[in-house]
Amino acid sequence: MSAGRPVQLEAREWDPASPGVDAERQGPTIDTLQKLRSFFSEERIMICFNGPTNQALIGEIGKALKQHITSTEGEQALAMDVFSVYIEMSQNIRNYALRQRYPEHEATATVVIAALPASHYSVSAVNLVEEVDGHALLQRVQSLSSLDKEALKRLYKQRLCHPDSSPDPLRGAGLGLLEIARRASSPLQAALDPERGGRCFFSLKVTV
Amino acid sequence: MIQNRLNDLCLEPTLSSPMVQTDLDAGILRMKGESYPENSFELYSSILTWLEGFLEAGAQPLQLELELNYLNTSSVRAMIELFDQLQAAADAGRQVSVNWYHDPRNPRAAELGEEFREDYSFPFAILALDP
Repeated sequence: MSAGRPVQLEAREWDPASPGVDAERQGPTIDTLQKLRSFFSEERIMICFNGPTNQALIGEIGKALKQHITSTEGEQALAMDVFSVYIEMSQNIRNYALRQRYPEHEATATVVIAALPASHYSVSAVNLVEEVDGHALLQRVQSLSSLDKEALKRLYKQRLCHPDSSPDPLRGAGLGLLEIARRASSPLQAALDPERGGRCFFSLKVTV
Repeated sequence: MIQNRLNDLCLEPTLSSPMVQTDLDAGILRMKGESYPENSFELYSSILTWLEGFLEAGAQPLQLELELNYLNTSSVRAMIELFDQLQAAADAGRQVSVNWYHDPRNPRAAELGEEFREDYSFPFAILALDP
């Protein structure tokens, strides 16, 4: 078979020109796969996950990530930094969704890990949060951006010794964010994207 | 003397939790692996209970043999509770010590041990393993 346009082996039962409800979607078409591939390549995306998470999945992706970076970079410190950011971010998202008692279709995370030039990596995630929590998170991220590594360490140690036991739904997220900021090589970037029903999508991008 | 019998702990490692083993006769608590369990409270409360039981049971020295490659923040918090218990025992005159082993190829594991050590005054050795 000659290279060129992908060959469609099965007839389409679903016409992409007139998309129906989401439930009828049959996954990416052969054409979309090619677009996905080139999008991933352009964005240097190495691992991408989109859906409900659990501890086993978080662990398996983390293990693959760590092994991949250790073998390609030959440096465990970098692999551990990326791993740590990824674990804290994923567990923060999962713990938040559990505490909010989000049903499975809302307790999802989009996690994207990209390999950047010059041995840098980015770990990013998007998840659904209540609007008030989203604004509080944005504020926390912004308040960390002006701190240097020494100040971050002091704050981290302070937070370790005085755990936040309040019923705050973001409880625990503070220490995780501090750990993430300590591992980052540039200030964290965050954004909120409003959704329906007083909720929004919180995006966080961390470069290691 | 009436005393609750303290049993040795033996927890198998998983992808996200370390091996935990105690030796009552030798006075040793060993932990090895990585720790980022879903529920760190569950894992560490059994270790903490054992540690408290051991420290209350007599005057025997206690040594922690730790080879922990990675801890997530909630595990770090739980380890601090263990070390706080050790510090209290040391302050009361008990002989306690920590050996923190790390793979020299993973400097983050050594740094993790150093950050713990900063806050305690009992013997806390950071030791590189043969790679």
